[in-house]
Amino acid sequence: MSEEILAETAKEQALAAMPVEIVAGIPSYNNARTIGHVVQAVHGGMLKYFPDRRGLIVNSDGGSIDGTPEAALKANLDSRSLLLLSHPLYPVNRLTLPYHGVPGKGSAFRALFRVAELVQARALVVVDADLRSITPEWIDLLVRPILERDFDYVTPYYKRHKYDGTITSSIVYPLTRALFGRRVRQPIGGEFGISGRLACRFLNGDVWSSDVASYGIDIWMTTTAIAENFRVCQSYLGAKIHDAKDQGADLGSTLVQVVGSVFSLMETYAPVWRNVLGSLPTPLMGFPFEVGLEPVPIDMERMLSAFQQGCRDLMPIYQQILSPELITGLSRCAALPAHQFAIPDDLWVGVTYDFTLAYHRRVMDTEHLLKSLMPLYLGWVASFARQTERETPAQVEERIEKLCLVYEQLKSYLINQWSLRTGEKRSQS
Amino acid sequence: MKGFWEQTLFEPLRLLGRQALGALPGFLMLLVLVVAGLLVGWLIKEVLHRLLRGLGFDRLCDRKGLSSLISKVGLSHRPSYLVGQVVQGLMLLVALLAGLNAIGTPLTRNLVERFFIYLPHLLAAFLVLIAGGLISRFLGRSVLIAAVNAQMPSARLLAGLTRFFVMTLTAVAALDELGISRTTIIVTFAILFGGVVVAAAIAFGLGARDFAHDLLQSQIHPRRPEPAEDVMRHL
Repeated sequence: MSEEILAETAKEQALAAMPVEIVAGIPSYNNARTIGHVVQAVHGGMLKYFPDRRGLIVNSDGGSIDGTPEAALKANLDSRSLLLLSHPLYPVNRLTLPYHGVPGKGSAFRALFRVAELVQARALVVVDADLRSITPEWIDLLVRPILERDFDYVTPYYKRHKYDGTITSSIVYPLTRALFGRRVRQPIGGEFGISGRLACRFLNGDVWSSDVASYGIDIWMTTTAIAENFRVCQSYLGAKIHDAKDQGADLGSTLVQVVGSVFSLMETYAPVWRNVLGSLPTPLMGFPFEVGLEPVPIDMERMLSAFQQGCRDLMPIYQQILSPELITGLSRCAALPAHQFAIPDDLWVGVTYDFTLAYHRRVMDTEHLLKSLMPLYLGWVASFARQTERETPAQVEERIEKLCLVYEQLKSYLINQWSLRTGEKRSQS
Repeated sequence: MKGFWEQTLFEPLRLLGRQALGALPGFLMLLVLVVAGLLVGWLIKEVLHRLLRGLGFDRLCDRKGLSSLISKVGLSHRPSYLVGQVVQGLMLLVALLAGLNAIGTPLTRNLVERFFIYLPHLLAAFLVLIAGGLISRFLGRSVLIAAVNAQMPSARLLAGLTRFFVMTLTAVAALDELGISRTTIIVTFAILFGGVVVAAAIAFGLGARDFAHDLLQSQIHPRRPEPAEDVMRHL
């Protein structure tokens, strides 16, 4: 029998709320300023769009010190439909700040899945607690595909500024798409709709004591849903605006957490993705209306200089990771003047694939490996920003599409190299 | 006169001859053991080298970073070959010690005895050097990547200094374990290390007074604007 993760009182409260069809989960950490608005939007969404279905809102808090649970309690109009949980934090959760800013987010999700299983909910919807742009429609868009169209997993689709979410655009989205053959534009969006069946699958996963649960729960869920052939769709939510507070980990740690999780999942699902070529579109729900976007400041000069310094000072490290052709390509890019600076797509994809292979072969300490990617990533952002300076959002999306196609075209290289060991790779190159 | 030559020259020579003849089997045994040690050592080295290479020992060392460490200390051979060579050397050493013991004189016995008393210190010093090498490499790389990501212009210098300090500490610990000029080394190291720290503190105080002022002020009243990429949402 698996260990019980809910406290006895929480279990009783959840059971008392039955029958429940929709569970809405809100993992939080120091979100007193926004959680009231989020709870109201969720509550309003349930009442407006699913008046005949019983809902339960669950706030799983990671030990906030600003009165977040109290703020959630105050905002809810019907206290019988609100369940307050506090997910356990392990010492490592307290020591390392995750990129999403919610320590122990994995534990929060686990508790939410357990509640959904306990009350036998048909749908679980999860939203961030720091959202300013959430509206009641989001609940409809994330839940209806599950209840009425038999989808198992709904990911968000946002309109974002071209410089917003560049790790997603340059690595996470194209790599996940090329690996598993499904085009899910925001694999780590933060808002999800999950069927009861998939919530049970997640709950029974053996991931809960790993780093992936602590720092990569979003990408783990998306990858699991796609790789295990659950029915996945996307819902257009408009713009996503967060509360302007501390965002979480610094860029280096974010790369370690997010990209490390993607690389780690590549190991888990290697037998799946090695048989996939090309990609298929994922259905998009909702009407993709235009929204005004906040400008994103970008310091191209500083990013370019980070790239150049990386190519100069970290070259001995890159020589252990990248093939000689890529080293030559990077050196050539680093020597370009700022107004001509560009990293070609095939070079960037080669760099990403060689990093995945170096991670797979444990060429060096994984944290060193992933942190050394930062100057190259900043170089890609600088190159992307320079090339898209005057481009419209549609043109930028086309450019990302082209990058994705290069990822797909060069995937055979990754497949061929994956089973080779370091020595064999060295002798081949 | 005859008695004089007999007493001062021939008798000691005869004694020496008798002693040499008595020790001859021991010396022959030493020779035989050394030759056998060389042959057996060579054989074991070849077998071990091939066996380890076949089992993927070199690839394991590549993954764990040992191969790179070996090449950094100037050895160009693969780890499996080096293990074979070390075992060959040990075989030769054992044969030599057994041979010396076989001679059976108080001097050789004493030599063998002292070697065995010293052996644990030698092994400990060797392990300290290996651990220090690995730690210095790991910390050096950590500092290098962190400094490059923070865009510090002297990243390589900082990483080099880190490696140098760790290796210096390691060398001092290893020499201390071997008991070589223990007091002199520790005092020299303390003076040098203390001197470097004081010099750095003075240099920082004099040369970077404004920087120190700004740094302290930014810690107490942080007003520094965030660089653009730090306010970007990368995900």
